[in-house]
Amino acid sequence: MKRLIINKRTKAVAVSVTLPVVLLILWQLFTCGMFASFKLVPSPCKVLNTFVILFSGPAFLHHIAASLERVMSGFLIGIVTGFSFGLLMGLSRTAEKIFAPSFHAVRQVPMIGWIPLIIMWFGMTELPRVLIISIAAFYPIALNTFAGVRNVPRHYLELAAVYDYKGWKLIRRIIIPAALPSIITGITLSLGMSWAILMAAEIFIQTEFGIGTQIQMGRDRFNMALVVAGIITVGLLGFSMTMLVEKLAKAVERERGIRTEL
Amino acid sequence: MFLTRFDWKSKLLALIVPLVVLTVWQSLVSLHVFSELILIPPLTLVSTLVELARSGELTLNILESLKRVVSGFLVGASSGFILGVVMALSPFLNRLFGPFLKALQQVPEFAWMPLIILLFGIDELAKVIFVSIGAFYPMLFNTWQGVSGVPEKYHELARVFDYKPHRYLTKVIIPGALPSIITGIRLSLGLSWMFVVGAELFGSDSGVGYMMTWGRQLFQIDIVIAGLVVIGTIGFLMNALLQIAETRFLQWRVSIDGRSA
Repeated sequence: MKRLIINKRTKAVAVSVTLPVVLLILWQLFTCGMFASFKLVPSPCKVLNTFVILFSGPAFLHHIAASLERVMSGFLIGIVTGFSFGLLMGLSRTAEKIFAPSFHAVRQVPMIGWIPLIIMWFGMTELPRVLIISIAAFYPIALNTFAGVRNVPRHYLELAAVYDYKGWKLIRRIIIPAALPSIITGITLSLGMSWAILMAAEIFIQTEFGIGTQIQMGRDRFNMALVVAGIITVGLLGFSMTMLVEKLAKAVERERGIRTEL
Repeated sequence: MFLTRFDWKSKLLALIVPLVVLTVWQSLVSLHVFSELILIPPLTLVSTLVELARSGELTLNILESLKRVVSGFLVGASSGFILGVVMALSPFLNRLFGPFLKALQQVPEFAWMPLIILLFGIDELAKVIFVSIGAFYPMLFNTWQGVSGVPEKYHELARVFDYKPHRYLTKVIIPGALPSIITGIRLSLGLSWMFVVGAELFGSDSGVGYMMTWGRQLFQIDIVIAGLVVIGTIGFLMNALLQIAETRFLQWRVSIDGRSA
């Protein structure tokens, strides 16, 4: 029985690996030796080589650190403001009536569209880069916090009224814990958005350091291997960040589950 | 039901923020806090929009952008749709493509842009490819989810009637997955619109994004803000139209389910 399961698993993994491996072989064939039909396209070996070169100097880590720092500041600003905004709109129907229509109107503008305006206002500095990332992080957390707060079960609120919980105590003890799953979804989405917009921020608002800068540099020098290496780096970093946040979210959920049981 | 009272209070409350913004904006202009290069009077914005519309420049740029959205969206959404259906129906193909596509999805779309430009030049083709990448994923994911969620009894019924693949697709799969597919279309069209603006900001000689870059380079902030209003309005209209379609199709589904229950 156990062997059967393992077999099934190995088979599944083998199927999943097929496509990347075939593509990799084709890539190598078409870029090396006699089949080399695209001169511009680097071979997989060359990309790997570029990675080795990149990791042997300090500049590459510097680019990565700059990108991470940028995305983290934008993300933190975005989720703190977005959370407060969502909480306010969720708690007060009047606040919702005042802010929601304008919020939804502004939200219609594709985020990228803000870039020319904020460049005009703040120049090609760090501020507009962080600002655009925080705008991107703002929407998902605001929407999800709002939805979470609005969907707090009625009997929780009734219980809170019995215990005479009011104001800050009510928010901290009842509303935020009840809305937590939705808030966490918002945070995960916000992180994804921040990471996606980071690339646009670094490519459109030129900067000295950043992975986007590096990809752009590769393009300017017609060094495609550098471009591909940059793309792989961004993908891997984004993936590990998402995994990390999902792990954290699961840990928080588990903690919460235990508390509900108690 | 139809005679719901017009909610004056909500409408008035909704006006507070726009009015405050306009007042602050106008007073900042009147008090000359910032230079005209950074902040234009609200009325200038209106006259710029009118002027751009009257000269035909705006219409031309909007049409140019829309053309790109339509071609990119059609390419991206149709491939996402086909792959979504195929992957939801065949566990083998799901395993074959799933992890690979998921890995590719980790790369933010904008990171592909320099690569696409290196490979295909900075022409129309590069923009369409870029937009179609943006349109691809939401369509793929939502179609997959919709088709996977088609109840087993529908499949069974199709087997009983011995439906041919073509009939199976048009009578069972697509109607069953329709709400999800329409959500996919809506999301994918929205992203296409954002990416077309991005592609045009990057390098173009026409389109709304180009108009905004041009305005920025000439320090004409009124054109940049006018561009923002235009892309926001178009994004809103696209979303609203498809949302109407969405509720319509959902209504149909609810009534059918209601009768069968």
